[in-house]
Amino acid sequence: MTTLNLDRRSFLAASAAVAGASFLPGSLLAQDGPIRIGTLTPLTGAGGPYGPVMVKAVKAVVEKVNAAGGVKGRMVEIVSEDDQTNPEAGVRAARKLIDVDRVSAIIGTWASSVTTAVAPLCWESKTFLCTVSGADAITLLPHQGYLVRTQPNTALQGRKFGEFAVAQGGKKVFYLSPQTPFADSQYAAIEAALTKVGGESRKYIYDDKKPSYRSEVDEMLRYAPDTIVLGGYTPDTSVLLKDIYRSGFTGTKIAFGYSVNQKLLDTVQPELAEGIFTISPSPAAGSEAYKALVSLTGVASPDPYTTQIYDHINLVLLAIAAAGQASGEAIRSKIRAVSQSPDGVKVDNAVDGLKLIAEGRPINYDGASGPCDFTDIGDIIDCQFRYDQVRAGKLTLVKIA
Amino acid sequence: MLVNLAQNLLNGLMTGMLIAIPAIGFSAIYAVLRYPNFAIAAYATIGAFAGWWLNSTFGLGIVWIILIAFCVSGVVGVAAEQVTLARLRPAGVLTVAIASIALNLMLENAVRFLFGNDLRGFDLAIQPDWRILALRIGPQQVQNMLLSLAIMAAVFLFLRYSPFGKAMRAVADNSDLARLKGINPTRIAVATIFMGAGLAGVGGVLLGLDTSIDPMTGARILLSIFAAAVLGGLGSIPGAVVGALLIGMAEEVSLLAFPATYKTAIGFVAILLILTLRPRGLLGERAL
Amino acid sequence: MLSYLLFTLTIGGIYAMLALSLNLIWGGVGMVNLGLAGFFAVGAYATAIVTGAGAPVIVGLGSALLAGVIVGLLVTYGTLRLRGDYLAIVTLGLAEVIRLIALNERWLTHGADGMSGIVAPLRSMVGSQAFNLGYLVFVSTVVILLWLLLRRLDHSPFGRAIKAVREDQELAAFAGKPVLRLKLQTFAVSAAVASLAGALYSHFQSYISPDHFQPLITIYIFLAVSAGGVGRPAGAVIGAYAVVAFLEGTRFVAELLPGVDPLQAAALREMLVGAALLLVLHLRPQGLLPERIQPARKT
Repeated sequence: MTTLNLDRRSFLAASAAVAGASFLPGSLLAQDGPIRIGTLTPLTGAGGPYGPVMVKAVKAVVEKVNAAGGVKGRMVEIVSEDDQTNPEAGVRAARKLIDVDRVSAIIGTWASSVTTAVAPLCWESKTFLCTVSGADAITLLPHQGYLVRTQPNTALQGRKFGEFAVAQGGKKVFYLSPQTPFADSQYAAIEAALTKVGGESRKYIYDDKKPSYRSEVDEMLRYAPDTIVLGGYTPDTSVLLKDIYRSGFTGTKIAFGYSVNQKLLDTVQPELAEGIFTISPSPAAGSEAYKALVSLTGVASPDPYTTQIYDHINLVLLAIAAAGQASGEAIRSKIRAVSQSPDGVKVDNAVDGLKLIAEGRPINYDGASGPCDFTDIGDIIDCQFRYDQVRAGKLTLVKIA
Repeated sequence: MLVNLAQNLLNGLMTGMLIAIPAIGFSAIYAVLRYPNFAIAAYATIGAFAGWWLNSTFGLGIVWIILIAFCVSGVVGVAAEQVTLARLRPAGVLTVAIASIALNLMLENAVRFLFGNDLRGFDLAIQPDWRILALRIGPQQVQNMLLSLAIMAAVFLFLRYSPFGKAMRAVADNSDLARLKGINPTRIAVATIFMGAGLAGVGGVLLGLDTSIDPMTGARILLSIFAAAVLGGLGSIPGAVVGALLIGMAEEVSLLAFPATYKTAIGFVAILLILTLRPRGLLGERAL
Repeated sequence: MLSYLLFTLTIGGIYAMLALSLNLIWGGVGMVNLGLAGFFAVGAYATAIVTGAGAPVIVGLGSALLAGVIVGLLVTYGTLRLRGDYLAIVTLGLAEVIRLIALNERWLTHGADGMSGIVAPLRSMVGSQAFNLGYLVFVSTVVILLWLLLRRLDHSPFGRAIKAVREDQELAAFAGKPVLRLKLQTFAVSAAVASLAGALYSHFQSYISPDHFQPLITIYIFLAVSAGGVGRPAGAVIGAYAVVAFLEGTRFVAELLPGVDPLQAAALREMLVGAALLLVLHLRPQGLLPERIQPARKT
């Protein structure tokens, strides 16, 4: 019995010590000191290929801002947490960011399930949330304005895929996708675009954890499409592309920009991806923000998720500066003032914007993922899309429209 | 319809061959040491990364890659298991199995720590399929299948005729009797783990040739390996091969009738059915 | 800070219920259930679907228990005759199948979108702060009740019978214990407890999705039960709270490491979970609270 008590006591003492040591700094730094922004991106799990680059881009922006004197003299500090591509873990991480680190905003949530799980915590604690998740339901949550999303909604994206397929002469489209929250609505939009011109289409949902998709590709061949649309992410798409190449399919291939991205091109044999069209949300042609991001990250064609989180951090910092206060409420009240003020001076990065705000001038941020103008429920109002094609192993801009 | 069936059976045979190699590794470890080793997933990932590194740094060809990846995974496996699992064996099968889950988590994240999450692909030429009698056959798949067959043949010959293989089988059949005959169980255990982890690593390489690799490469095929080994009979090496081929073919053929998203479930339903009828798997539990 | 603590303790309670479920089956009859995440999901979805159709929460919780029992019996009926290692693998596969069903059967589960807006009892009346506090009290009460119940079970003739099965199946059968029936019953109760944990999680978070139920949580619970002491309900409960404290604590440790990027920190955190489990198994295999074997009654 004595050993038992000792164990229990030493355990309690140890856990109290851990708890005490770790909880102190957050509460002390809540009001003054640095402005804290949380990134909640997938660093492990299925979203693992995307999250690390996103955090890097944010840190690069913040370094620049801090080097230029911070936001209203306050330094910016990034607290990065891993959502493990799992909403259960994501909620735990968000609670820590909100309650312990007292971040004013959480940016970069990726999986729709994580965003949906984390959003209520944010609006209840008056923490601002910027997301790249695609599920249409997200902006319909009762978020009271504490949420914006830079990812175009999927009905719009699906329509672009459909229209583009038709414009490329497609009459028979095969849609191959894993089970995602937006597979159905994306396909519905593709189908509508095809029906309008008398074409036809078929949807095929596959399991995205398999080492080979030969039989799935056989199904595709039996349908004999002239165009295929790929709805997956980089890991499964890279496998699928091998099997499609081997099958000898020569029709048009269209994929999301986040799936056939620079990473994929660096990984697979060049002939696999040759000729694929990709579609991503985009700013107007000649955008400086996109170029700035390219030089900041050293990646020639940044992933759409990276362009979006780049806009998140810029917008959040500008909104904080405009409000003169680092809180979720302040960001909520000013985000549209810095993102879409009609008479504002166009800016494409936080450092320039902060100077203008300090001079008392209105600004209008146009970002690397688009003009970043938001509706009342936090969807982007309008965005152009960039259509790239893989030519000689490189993503080459076809058009922005 | 018949053509479709034949095509899917063929595809299943190819994926089955891919799963068979790590499944043999898993079964070999099970046969001698009697625990289901979850770290087999991490060994496959480590083998795949070792192979990728050799290929991208030195441009080595496939046979060399396989040989060296075998050794790398084998050595990592022996080191990891001697440090973390060996002392737990007296505590029982389930304890070691659970410890191997923990080991797997550590190794997977060690790979992630060192290499990041980015996808990597082998720098090997890719060829379009042949068309033979309305069937689609990939030269690479045929090559992988031949490699798998060669590896399997080597494993069988080794176990059947080499003194070490005989000792291994003796331990698998009856470890007490084997000890009485003067076989050193620790040496056999180490050799078996080397072989099992090494084969898992080779499986990872073969998988990587066909796909792209990342730290979760092994984890994605873990359930298929288990399903194959259980279907054939835990610890039976021919069983692992038969099980892998059957699971592969069942999964592909199922696409003709069921949604493709339930592919993984098919393997699981298959093992539930077989185990209900034959609780020790198709071929029983004799090692070879 | 306070809400972080409330939240963490509530999650600790839910993990504690999962740990009690695992402890019953593992510490009881000596079988392991690697599909814990699956049963967690079954309960979470059962109550979400039933209350979503308009039934009161109590009916939802009841159906979660029932669904857990049914799924538990379905899976184990064919496999209980098998040895423990077969069952371990089968249950691991089961969890994946359950996740696939949740992902693909949109008509029932809303597919990948997940189910949001699950009733959080009284929340709209009392506000979120009071709800969080109240829910913590509720979950903790359920944990205490379950713990008392399972401890009682442990000391009952049933508890002794299942431990006899754990120690030596053949001997137990020889002594006239209905081994198969004992295993089925224990597995069913254990599945029901895990499902209840899922149901309580469902009403706490108001949102569930297939992504919630990945295998990692099963590993956390194994760590909890190993650390607490297999075969001792109190150990499972304490182990679960310790694991949640550990998982959260590693965040703060990871922040202090110099020269490690966020991805590496995340990898290190997961490595620490594995290392902790291995260390417990090596250094204190009996757990913090070792099992107490009652002396046989003198006759």
